[in-house]
Amino acid sequence: MKTRIVFYCSLVLLSGCIMFTAVPPGELSYSGLTITNASTWNQAPKEWTRLSRADAKTWTKNGILLDRILIIPAVPDGEPLFRQVSDSQALPLFYASMLPIEINEFTESSIVKLFGEDGAAVETSNLRPHRFGEDKGVIFDLEVKVSDGPDYKGMTGAMIVDEKLYLITFLGAEPYYYEKSLDEATEIIESAFVKPQQ
Amino acid sequence: MELEDYESSLQQSALLIKDGPINDYVKNAACRVAGDYCSDFRVYIVRNPSFNASMTANGVMQVWTGLLVRVSSEDGLAAVLGHELAHYTQLHTLERLRRIKSSLAASSVIDLLLGLPLAQMATVANLMAFNREQEEEADLLGVSFMAQSGYDPHAAASVWQMIVEEEESAAAKREAAGLFTKTHPAAEDRIVTLTSYVEKNYPEPKAAENDHHSHLEILNRYYLFLMEDQIDTNRFGRTEHMLKRHQQIGVNPSLVDFFYGEMYRQRKSEGDFELARQSYERAIQAEDPFADAYRNLGYVHLKLKKPAQASVHFRKYLELKPDADDRAMIEFYLEEE
Repeated sequence: MKTRIVFYCSLVLLSGCIMFTAVPPGELSYSGLTITNASTWNQAPKEWTRLSRADAKTWTKNGILLDRILIIPAVPDGEPLFRQVSDSQALPLFYASMLPIEINEFTESSIVKLFGEDGAAVETSNLRPHRFGEDKGVIFDLEVKVSDGPDYKGMTGAMIVDEKLYLITFLGAEPYYYEKSLDEATEIIESAFVKPQQ
Repeated sequence: MELEDYESSLQQSALLIKDGPINDYVKNAACRVAGDYCSDFRVYIVRNPSFNASMTANGVMQVWTGLLVRVSSEDGLAAVLGHELAHYTQLHTLERLRRIKSSLAASSVIDLLLGLPLAQMATVANLMAFNREQEEEADLLGVSFMAQSGYDPHAAASVWQMIVEEEESAAAKREAAGLFTKTHPAAEDRIVTLTSYVEKNYPEPKAAENDHHSHLEILNRYYLFLMEDQIDTNRFGRTEHMLKRHQQIGVNPSLVDFFYGEMYRQRKSEGDFELARQSYERAIQAEDPFADAYRNLGYVHLKLKKPAQASVHFRKYLELKPDADDRAMIEFYLEEE
């Protein structure tokens, strides 16, 4: 029994070693999706974002419950925006033939699933076209209400390039953290483009 | 968390529905069915698309919007509220609370040893459900509460029948079982017991005593957000079953048709875009058509590779809703055509 207690205590202590890593200002590319950030953000460790796809990143300034940017590159046709951890999730699937309104609805339903469909309601608005580099895409706003947390507001930019979805979403707790990071998050989202395949 | 803290967090929840008419409607129904117990509890309506209601030992009654959008009438609502009240008056909720507290104390010791809250999580999941005898007692007492307050007790079995049918529709689409079904097993057995009890004790339906328009009025008034939340669950087997029922009970046909269009368009099975087009076409026949039906009819025409027809509907959408927040997107398509 003593050995087991020591083992579990070690596990708990080791979990403290899971670190956020600083993302300095500059241009970065993830699976072909290039973005530019003007100030330092903190990239969350995978252990904090269990629903994230393998190549997705989560950035935050003040902790992911207060503000976060989800960077989700190259979602292939027929796959969900987040990692499926159970058959009962009913995650919506991305299709390369989606129109802007469908990307909007797909994102809305996916974010509901991210927060838990029995504890969150998501509304989107202001769907508008945006050109990301050479590619046509869309931007829209989000509002997320959760049962046991702050309200969030945010913004999503998305484009389909070579039948893959590239999506960036900013969410900030209302009102302070949303307003504090909105301008910079907008710049990051609007700076996005997909590098042509070599 | 103590029950008082739970109620306080519920009061502050962003998902608490505070709008007057829907609260008045549910609180009046709960008070009517509760009779002398009316002052014992507080009703909270929570925005949640699943079918559920619950009551705690200190009188917090929680009603989810997914329940309101599924029952066909005020009688159906009273059946569920009566059932929950019966758990409360028979002290099932108190007994459950004691059971949870003592089991959690034991599991806390295990968790301290493990360093992880696994035992507590397993314990809570197992203890939330009432036992079979308690459920049957709540079913039958709930029915007598209904009858005493002038509701039609025959509605109780109908609610269970509706749940069984929805679960069958969901299972046919390989969707997971609903929360209420998971915590209230053997629905078919309960329908049989309830039906025989009601037929024996209350042979005459009491439908004439109730104003069945009140439930329809609430559904029509809040239908947009209720069904938008349901569509967001991406569970189209359930949604289709709900829409069929809404058609049967007389919810505003243009709204039901609009959401049939939404369901088909977002489900994307073979032939669904054509079914969506037909649904939106019916929705815009209403006297006062919903502008979004024109917009989405435009989008479905784009999916069907008919951009000229899409433009006609997009223009109508902007005419009906000149300050639409997605105007720039629609104008983008109009310029492309």
